[in-house]
Amino acid sequence: MSDVSLDVDEGQFVAVVGPNGAGKTTLFKTISGVVTPIVGEIVYKGQDLLKVPPNERAQLGIAHVPEGRQVFASMTVKENLEMGSSTRKSRARRAELLKTVLELFPILAERRDQLAGTLSGGEQQMLAIGRGLASAPDLLMLDEPSMGLAPTIVDAIFDRIEFIHRHHGVTILLVEQRVAEALELCDRGYVLETGRMVLEGSHDTLISNTRVKHAYLGM
Amino acid sequence: MEELKWFAVDFFQAVTAGLLVGGTYGLMCVGLGIIFGVMRVVNFAQGDFMMLGMYITYYLVTGFGVLAFLGPYAGPVVGAALAGPVVFAIGWLLHRYLLARITGARVISAEAEGHYTQIIMTLGVALVLANGGLILFGSTPLSVQTPMSRESWEVWLIFFNQARTVAFVLAILFAVGLYLFLTKSDLGKMLRAAADNPIAAAYVGIDVDRSHRFAFGLGVGITAVAGGLLASTQSFQPYIGFDFVIVMYAGVVLGGMGSILGAFWGGLTIGLVQQVSTLVLPYQLQNTAIFVIFLLIIFFRPQGMFGRVWERA
Amino acid sequence: MGRSDKAKQYFAIFAFAGVYLLIGWFVRNSYYQLMMTLVLIWATVGISWNMLSGYSGMISFGHAAFFGLGGYTMTIAFVTFGITPWIGIPLGVVVGVIAGIIIGLPTFRLRGHYFALSMLAYPLAMLYVFEWMGYQEVSLPMKREAPTLYAQFNDQRTYMALALVLLVICMIISLHVERSRFGRSLLAIKQNEAAASAAGINPLRWKMLAMMLSAAIGAAAGGLYAIVLLVVTPQTMFGALVSAQALIMALFGGVGVFWGPVIGAAVLVPLAETLHAELGSVIPGIQGVVYGIAIIVIILLAPEGIYWRIREWLARPATLIKRPVSWAPAAANAASVVPIAESRTQTAPADGPLLHLQAVRRTFGGLRAVDDVTLDIKPGTIHGIIGPNGAGKTTLFNVINGFLAADSGNITFAGTKLTGLKPHDVCRHGIGRTFQVVRAFPRMTVLENVVIGAFVGSTSNAEAARLAMTALDRVGLADEQADAIAGGLTTKQLRLMELARALAPGPRLLLLDETLAGLGHDALEDVLRIIRQINRDGVTIAIIEHTMHAMVKLVDRFSVLDHGKLIADGAPADVVKDRNVIEAYLGRKWMERAHDSVA
Repeated sequence: MSDVSLDVDEGQFVAVVGPNGAGKTTLFKTISGVVTPIVGEIVYKGQDLLKVPPNERAQLGIAHVPEGRQVFASMTVKENLEMGSSTRKSRARRAELLKTVLELFPILAERRDQLAGTLSGGEQQMLAIGRGLASAPDLLMLDEPSMGLAPTIVDAIFDRIEFIHRHHGVTILLVEQRVAEALELCDRGYVLETGRMVLEGSHDTLISNTRVKHAYLGM
Repeated sequence: MEELKWFAVDFFQAVTAGLLVGGTYGLMCVGLGIIFGVMRVVNFAQGDFMMLGMYITYYLVTGFGVLAFLGPYAGPVVGAALAGPVVFAIGWLLHRYLLARITGARVISAEAEGHYTQIIMTLGVALVLANGGLILFGSTPLSVQTPMSRESWEVWLIFFNQARTVAFVLAILFAVGLYLFLTKSDLGKMLRAAADNPIAAAYVGIDVDRSHRFAFGLGVGITAVAGGLLASTQSFQPYIGFDFVIVMYAGVVLGGMGSILGAFWGGLTIGLVQQVSTLVLPYQLQNTAIFVIFLLIIFFRPQGMFGRVWERA
Repeated sequence: MGRSDKAKQYFAIFAFAGVYLLIGWFVRNSYYQLMMTLVLIWATVGISWNMLSGYSGMISFGHAAFFGLGGYTMTIAFVTFGITPWIGIPLGVVVGVIAGIIIGLPTFRLRGHYFALSMLAYPLAMLYVFEWMGYQEVSLPMKREAPTLYAQFNDQRTYMALALVLLVICMIISLHVERSRFGRSLLAIKQNEAAASAAGINPLRWKMLAMMLSAAIGAAAGGLYAIVLLVVTPQTMFGALVSAQALIMALFGGVGVFWGPVIGAAVLVPLAETLHAELGSVIPGIQGVVYGIAIIVIILLAPEGIYWRIREWLARPATLIKRPVSWAPAAANAASVVPIAESRTQTAPADGPLLHLQAVRRTFGGLRAVDDVTLDIKPGTIHGIIGPNGAGKTTLFNVINGFLAADSGNITFAGTKLTGLKPHDVCRHGIGRTFQVVRAFPRMTVLENVVIGAFVGSTSNAEAARLAMTALDRVGLADEQADAIAGGLTTKQLRLMELARALAPGPRLLLLDETLAGLGHDALEDVLRIIRQINRDGVTIAIIEHTMHAMVKLVDRFSVLDHGKLIADGAPADVVKDRNVIEAYLGRKWMERAHDSVA
């Protein structure tokens, strides 16, 4: 990644798109703290994030829903969600938060006591998102939620994501290779290519931009 | 016919002895299972922590007589239980200052190079502990003598050595307690989460390094308690750890690396194998039978009884 | 360059031997003479450990097995059958080698910690068995009537000389191994076994050879140890401390280089022995503590051993430490190298496809990673395999390559059935492979990396070097970069290096897995150009990529995978417009919008 700058305002839905290897996941990892940038700064709610160790960042209200879902396969759905709400802030409100998540994803309520590893891909994605929400985050980061999922399931997932944004007012930072859905839902978007920001703009400007088309279809 | 009857009695006696000692082996293996399951660390020094547990119990009960006021029945039990926290602390410190430098969340993604430094470091620790023990405690075999050590209850021609039976019951209790801790408590769940998926665990705010440290301390502490329980049933000397390392690994591998329940069953089975093998093998070779079983499992079913099939062997 | 380096090493070895002998000559005290002898013996044991574990990375905690077997064979032959140690020791070596084969065959199937644990079990089992057999303590009888015949000498220094001879022989063997194809292959296996396999190296064969050699050396050392001490017990021959010492001599002094165990033994043995002598009665077990602390300290401070740490300090700060200098010809000769033999790149029999997949299926748990895929790759073409993330593309390559077995279906390559072959065999048949995440041998130079690939296509080391230089030339990496350490390269250089390694043996088909990923615009164009040229030279190419845009200009044909299934197969222009493909990549909404705007 080099010279990447982006802003996410409270309550916004920001999307970052780009082909594979463009640096999207690296971007997320830098924000979560798994990777340390050589230069640059990350400011979160006025605080210098680089001074905060990775597991503390979650305590600050950043929820990272990782690529490939990464559920706790040997634990039940309920336990996964409980782990999601293990930050100091959310622990007190655990019962209430879990109820909200289960209402959002009824299928998870059904499979409450099932081992997460036995869920289908789509269900696991919902669990991962639910787990992120269970911490009552100020910023919800979603890393390629559509990966490996069938188109109809992807539609359902994005539908829920949009609902979460609209209804619960959660600030969302979404990274996706599926350009259409990402740009469709966002307020603002960025296009990343080989580690650089090549395009940025509001929802309307990006939707019709030819460069985006070119990047994906060689047209 | 008479001979058959006596053989049957011998057989059931061996099975009983095997189960009784197996309970303690099971607890021991659970300790190792926690460490391997959570941290993916092969800890060679596990047997030496057990040895520490034995000596701590001894000194608490007999040596310094600190627990003498509890009487000869409760003393050894409490002694074994106390060995747990002491060894937990030692393990915690060891991990913090030595192991953490080469293990932890970083190593999860590292290739084989990172892996072998862990194993070798614990080998170094094992040598220091075992020989350090020799220096501190001397080489004379010791044991914790209780009035129950030499007494047995007789049920239908089968003798239940009292000390071993008590150790068995206590081992089961401790194992159940641990199981409840891991499944019901928040801390236990966080440990399991850190073991299951360290990356995701970090993302939800779990301090993975601290979890590993706790798991290490817990693992060696549990094994130490098992050692303390064993201390009243057999004699021990500082090098006993090396004998038990393979026994413990055999149990954990048999049960399935990564499964705590499996580790317990594995340890129990190993105890059975050990005692039943004395029916056909000379006494000195009882551990050889375990090694053979161990090698057979690794070759033919490396995931053990309860392990996950995609556990990389 | 290579030959003079070897000469330098020989000189160093003999100089060391000479100096040692000289010092030994002047030492009068028999205790110190014994210590000097023990240093040599433990150095030999360390070399034995290095031969297996140091060079190949298969960490063994059970070398006491060979040491003990060597010692006991000689002892039993002597005590029970009156056979002289001069014959007894070689006999022990034979027994050791046989044990090595018997142990190696099953145990090599295991990885990492399972291997180390198993190796621990063997000598322990032997210990129990020997104790049970009644060999608690066996003393070698004195043969006063013909001492020399029975390798018994009054002067301890004779034993020292014998030990020195053994050590020098083992050092020379190690030197040759390190510089040979054998050693290089072991190193490649150690640094990245999968890559080594794909490059045509048969891991099992080389590991077994290493095990046999290691066992032989260990057994010889054990036999010598027994004659020197004149008493053998199961604990001193099979005990855990023996295995630990084998490991730590090499670990402390330097893993993977024959000087390592010598340094390690020279430092640790006198230290431990002296402490034991001075304090042993007061502090029994001081030896074990010393070794234990030495292990811990060295793992923390210099995990590869003192030798490498010293070399790092001596080398220029900028360079990473380099492995033994390569014996390849200097880069200047590249221009005179003959282009790759044409015979290897001849097209397949007339019209048939070069690679044919028939209903190939591979599942993981319930997931169909490759779902009944049937496709052809025609000779001389560049064939693109694309699809969204998780579509099964890499899995498909892994199945073709032999890393994974197909659950059902057939794969034929130029008429030969590939299904069921191991990766190194697939490579031998003429298929080269690069990986999604570059699998380099990080501690070797670029040239050395590529030479590994050339082994399978050459009979001599010189020929391998020539092939490697040619391959490097074809990808544009010759000259300055050939000697750079792989660990410090840029993404583009790494990809080109891996390409060269796959190209070196002259394959007919190259499987390139996301070779273009992570490359900037200019680097991308360069690599595309190189790939086109390689194709024009006659190599068929199957390339996996994620995005279409770079590939549209490159390929002759596209196969599109989604969720393991083949959803489109044909010319780029057609595939790009295919509804199923667009939907798979960009979603239905995009397609609707694209349809609207195009219309």
